[in-house]
Amino acid sequence: MKLATTSFSRRLQGRRPWAVVLSPLAAALLAACTGIIGSEDGVPEGPDVPPSTPTDFSCDPDAVPEALPLRRLSDVQYRNTLRDLVTFALPAESEEVMTEIAFQTAQLVADVAANDGGDQRYAKFSRLDQTVQQAHIDTGYHTAEAVGAALTENPTRIATVVGDCATDADPGNDDACLDDFIRRFGERALRRAIDDEDVAFYREPAGTAPLEPADYADVIALLLNAPHFRYFVEHGQGGFAEDQVAPLDAYELASRLSYHFWQTMPDEALFAAARSGELLSDEGYQAQVQRIFNDPRTTASLEGFFGQWLQNSTLEPLDSRLGSPAFDTMRGSFTPTPTLREDMWQEVVDSAVYYTEQGGSFEDFFRSDRSFAKTPELAAIYGVEPWTSGEPPAMNDPARAGLITRAAYLATGSANTRPVMKGVFLRRAILCDPIPPPPPEAESVEIELPEDASTREYVDALTGTGSCGSCHIPLINPLGFATENFDALGRKRDVQVLIDPANGDVIGEAEVNTEVVPLVETTDSRTAANAVELADQMLESPKPYACFTRQYFRYTFGRLEDLDRDACALADVKHSLDAGAPLSEVLRTIALSDSFKQRSFDTP
Amino acid sequence: MKNGKLNRRLFLRGAAGFTLALPVLPSLLEDEAEAAPTGVRRFVALGTPHGAVWPQNMYPAAPQGPETMTYGGHEIRRADLDMTANNGRSIISPVLSADSSLLTEQIRSKMNVLRGLDVTFYLAHHRGGHLGNYAENDGNGMDGQALTEHRPTIDQIMAWSDNFYPNLSTILERSLVIGRPGMSANWSNPGSQSGVVQNITPESNSLVLFNRIFVPDEDPMETRPLIVDRVIDDYHRLRQGNRRLSAEDRRRLDDHLDRLDELQRKLNVAVSCGDIPVPTVSSNEVQNQASPAFHLNATAQAQYWSLLNDVIVAAFICDTCRVASVLAGTYHSDYDGDWHQEIAHQAELPMWPFPNTPLPDNMGPGPQAYTVQHHQRFFEDVFLDLVSKLDQVPDGDGTLLDRTLVQWTQESGSRTHDPIELPVVTAGSGDEWFRTGQYVDYRNLNSPAHTADQDNAVDSHTGLVYNQWLGTVCTAMGLEKSEYESGQYGGYGELILSTEGWYSGQGKYPSSVLDVMGEELPYLES
Repeated sequence: MKLATTSFSRRLQGRRPWAVVLSPLAAALLAACTGIIGSEDGVPEGPDVPPSTPTDFSCDPDAVPEALPLRRLSDVQYRNTLRDLVTFALPAESEEVMTEIAFQTAQLVADVAANDGGDQRYAKFSRLDQTVQQAHIDTGYHTAEAVGAALTENPTRIATVVGDCATDADPGNDDACLDDFIRRFGERALRRAIDDEDVAFYREPAGTAPLEPADYADVIALLLNAPHFRYFVEHGQGGFAEDQVAPLDAYELASRLSYHFWQTMPDEALFAAARSGELLSDEGYQAQVQRIFNDPRTTASLEGFFGQWLQNSTLEPLDSRLGSPAFDTMRGSFTPTPTLREDMWQEVVDSAVYYTEQGGSFEDFFRSDRSFAKTPELAAIYGVEPWTSGEPPAMNDPARAGLITRAAYLATGSANTRPVMKGVFLRRAILCDPIPPPPPEAESVEIELPEDASTREYVDALTGTGSCGSCHIPLINPLGFATENFDALGRKRDVQVLIDPANGDVIGEAEVNTEVVPLVETTDSRTAANAVELADQMLESPKPYACFTRQYFRYTFGRLEDLDRDACALADVKHSLDAGAPLSEVLRTIALSDSFKQRSFDTP
Repeated sequence: MKNGKLNRRLFLRGAAGFTLALPVLPSLLEDEAEAAPTGVRRFVALGTPHGAVWPQNMYPAAPQGPETMTYGGHEIRRADLDMTANNGRSIISPVLSADSSLLTEQIRSKMNVLRGLDVTFYLAHHRGGHLGNYAENDGNGMDGQALTEHRPTIDQIMAWSDNFYPNLSTILERSLVIGRPGMSANWSNPGSQSGVVQNITPESNSLVLFNRIFVPDEDPMETRPLIVDRVIDDYHRLRQGNRRLSAEDRRRLDDHLDRLDELQRKLNVAVSCGDIPVPTVSSNEVQNQASPAFHLNATAQAQYWSLLNDVIVAAFICDTCRVASVLAGTYHSDYDGDWHQEIAHQAELPMWPFPNTPLPDNMGPGPQAYTVQHHQRFFEDVFLDLVSKLDQVPDGDGTLLDRTLVQWTQESGSRTHDPIELPVVTAGSGDEWFRTGQYVDYRNLNSPAHTADQDNAVDSHTGLVYNQWLGTVCTAMGLEKSEYESGQYGGYGELILSTEGWYSGQGKYPSSVLDVMGEELPYLES
């Protein structure tokens, strides 16, 4: 039976035989259709030509890369550095000190993750927040004071932090004692060599001997307020010249390496390599890159990159609709817990870290047929045992296509799948293709709809007509339809069960159709029969590799890429990906690029 | 202190507790007539997402025999703000209704409800539009007039204005930015109004906010000189050194130095808030410990916002801050689903598409029912909670509310994704600048935008420009026009005359409307 042609609003007045729950973005994207599709440079193109992300980065060795001016430590980096400095100064009581300053650190300003604008839901990195606000200055000042007070709280701590000479009976050695402390602690805090002028400057608040605890506290607080502590101050080698670009000096390089891979200050070995100048030799530098990357501390940074890039932030809590008749019927005996959503997100991150650490390539990660589900609940969705250690269990399901069929990208938190949302995520976060913003008036769409329509048919009817179709048909819907053989919890299905939302009764079945023309490339009109073939087409395209490259660039440098001026660094990573290099090598490649090892002083 | 008024101690005991519940003091009613300008003004901006409240649910019923005048080339109207009582509830409109103990006659007399203020171009999802930074949006300008240049929001212009803060001797925070990101923005160097315009990261932990505006008792033994001078010297040492830096590096150092100057000023603030007990419960704890879950727990939501309101009131009492902006989220309803899609974007639908989910009582049909519930709860639990607390604290011959302008605005007008008929609800006279107790309608009834039909309950019209409201606020708060106006037209905020054919406001803002944008909105000045 066909319903009469009607508006969306009128149609909803009729009884729907199955739960209709569109994604949050669906309406926005319904409204995104004006018949004009923006190109990369914002110039409207024809309605039949989807926009594409640049995939070829042509390195011009003479181009001067951009540079983030006076980059500040991120919130995470600032906290980690405080912790490591306290540990350096007072290793046996570092946890106590961090607890004692918890009041001040609770006031610190959290970074706000950002991306390149447009859709604000996906691929956002907190490192892109480079704002410096009054609260940064205020809270940092008070935190520094608190650290100074805590580290000098009693003579025992002072003796450990500054030296026995600070608490012995001889006030005559206090000055030398303090100077030595400034040289040791100052080098770690400021991440540069300390000269006599520095010692004279930073000891000034202490006054003259005999010195009191508050004198040492003030010196510590002053060091922790210093520009070299709060920012990555980079002068480059031969830091007095007027060159537009200069190679970083050894300490600056050490900081870039440690903060990129560890999110914190250099360790003693890295400081030693900087101090000796070993870091400036190719051999010494590469050895440190290898050592740093292999250190377990790199894992947290990798998790930060993959977690922020690949997080499906529109996935709702999976237990929020328990008790809803339609959702209860859909889930059957499976009862999602409040942590299942986080488990799904973590599985994606765990898979990325696993392939990085095991020598896998980007393609291995993308196509992986392994389950990284650590909980029985998530493992049950894949029909495998939980992963505890060692080799992850194989899913042994030919319908699973790797990354794009992980539960985090299939589940919705409602009774229905959300093809529009799935499509937007793949188009924006994995392919880096832009999608125009939504105009209003989305509700009044004329559609015809069979009563036993599948979600695919419903979404197609709703979005495929009028101006809406110019965006949804080529760009969005096909990428979501290809995984319609999975239900709203990410479980495989052969048919779509139609459910009456009023009472949860099963009232029929609809065919699942995963055949699509994904148009991964504008000129590629091949059909993909399912998610596996979609994944094949995606990996045959340069887009996912170029997209990975751009996202990793942003994470590394804390800014958006300039496709011309930054092409050399982008090309280095992309070439490594194109060559099928292990992810570990790809991720290290950025640190070997010239852009990473130098600083531009050019002002555009 | 007059007999029966609250003293700080009484109020702040409440502030330290879980929620602040102040008794209504009849004596304050008597004081109203005695209120006189003190020169101290305060401003609070509350913003909520989406909007899409049908006019009949948002605004009072059309008044009988309103006062009219021709302004901006069309007829505008005003009337006293009418309120009825029913079963313990005071009702201005379905949204503007509350328990009669909160929405009192005194509060009504200090409110204004404004209708007919528009942004002249398509502006769907945004955060910054409430206070004039329209570029903080999710994409506009399909006609090639996309806004990319961000500008400071008016709360920040006030916060750094010598006219608003002629004396900073007690000011610990020039402004409080609360809730979700994007509502407030300012220069990276506000003192010199230079650098880049950046969003100000909000804080939603009431305890953290409290510590920013609270001055603990001084330790008489604390006599050591502050190290901030030396910190400033350190930045100068780098800034003026001969080591290689880029021009932008130096600009960032200048920004930092300006901030250090502000820190230095704040460290020398002399103010006594020493008798304020530090709160023992934070809004974050209320949110995290809520059972049922916070997003479905109206009681916890009310407590959460009440604690944040307490900080604003405490700051005003101590006079350690006079500006606050608050951008709320999509809570405040019983709906356990996808608010964005299923409610906000369907708010025009006259029927309810989810028969298994019950509608709230007496809130109307369809998704609009939850829209009304959401906004009514915000009005009662957040707006009125704040307003009533401000009105119970004496200040000069009046109350804190008399020296304050509290405004509540919504992301969209009566249709989602549509900046036409943006509702503005206010309380307080801003130190006797505003005439209050009014319903003012600036619409041009001969300029229809949306026309109601069987599928759409919204009948809207274009009117005056929202920028004019923002300019009026700036003037009322004591700012000179030179501090905020720029460009061809007056008021505050970018003006784009959209050419997007589908946009219902396209071509409906004649020169008669644009030419008055630099004036204070009529009917409002006392």
